[in-house]
Amino acid sequence: MISTANRHTLTTPTDRTIRVEREFDAPRDRVWRAYTEPDLIAQWWGRGNKLDIERMEVERGGHWRVVEHTPEGESHGFEGRFREVTPKDRISRTFEWDGMPGYTILETAEFFDTPDGRTRMVSTALFFSPEERDGMLHSGMEGGMAQSYAALDRVLAEMR
Amino acid sequence: MQSYILNHMVQYSSSLDAVFAAVADPTRRGILERLGQREASITELAEAFDMTLTGMKKHVSVLEDAGLVQTKKVGRVRTCTLGKRRLAAEAAWIAKYQQMLEAQLDSLGEFLERTKGDRP
Repeated sequence: MISTANRHTLTTPTDRTIRVEREFDAPRDRVWRAYTEPDLIAQWWGRGNKLDIERMEVERGGHWRVVEHTPEGESHGFEGRFREVTPKDRISRTFEWDGMPGYTILETAEFFDTPDGRTRMVSTALFFSPEERDGMLHSGMEGGMAQSYAALDRVLAEMR
Repeated sequence: MQSYILNHMVQYSSSLDAVFAAVADPTRRGILERLGQREASITELAEAFDMTLTGMKKHVSVLEDAGLVQTKKVGRVRTCTLGKRRLAAEAAWIAKYQQMLEAQLDSLGEFLERTKGDRP
């Protein structure tokens, strides 16, 4: 599945992944700054909607949280933590919407120089869901998980 | 127990394939977003997306097969709602996220154009 409607290329390399490639007519340094500096993020991330950037700690383990306000008066909070920050090369973070808590997306953006001085950005979104977690619980039942539950049973028994 | 697990896993992954195939299409993402707000008849959806009734029926049937949409016929009107499974809400969220991501990249591109030359 490829869509090139808006100057970007969108593909779904796996059944849990969305990958978007796009070139920007700006050097990598400017793209990186627009992507990570709160004053600059505020000018594009909301796509015209008012944006409150409550936290933007761009470092490994740092929190980020933004609240977007629509013209209809709705507010939507988005947040997560940074997993990897390699300036001008790669940034990876978790992404959750307040409306679907626990449905975490792992967002990774990579930046590349093109020969003509532009920047190619590749953004990958990997979806996790409670259903997926449930599937893992089922398959792990006979291994370590069962041992952990046995240990928990013992602790609970002692608490009585 | 073992065969139950296997069966569960197989059904699980095939349903996710169907979900992803269903939300890969921009019109179907739009339909899910729309139905996330309120139910609609096939006719209303066809009008909203400027599409023939036959075309809309095909999209709705793909969404229905993936368990993302349920339809109910009362008299001559077929009404569509989001499917009951939790996956429907998840798929609607994935659809919304994808639209947001694409719009954000456009917005970033416009911002970079607008601020070109502001700073060396």
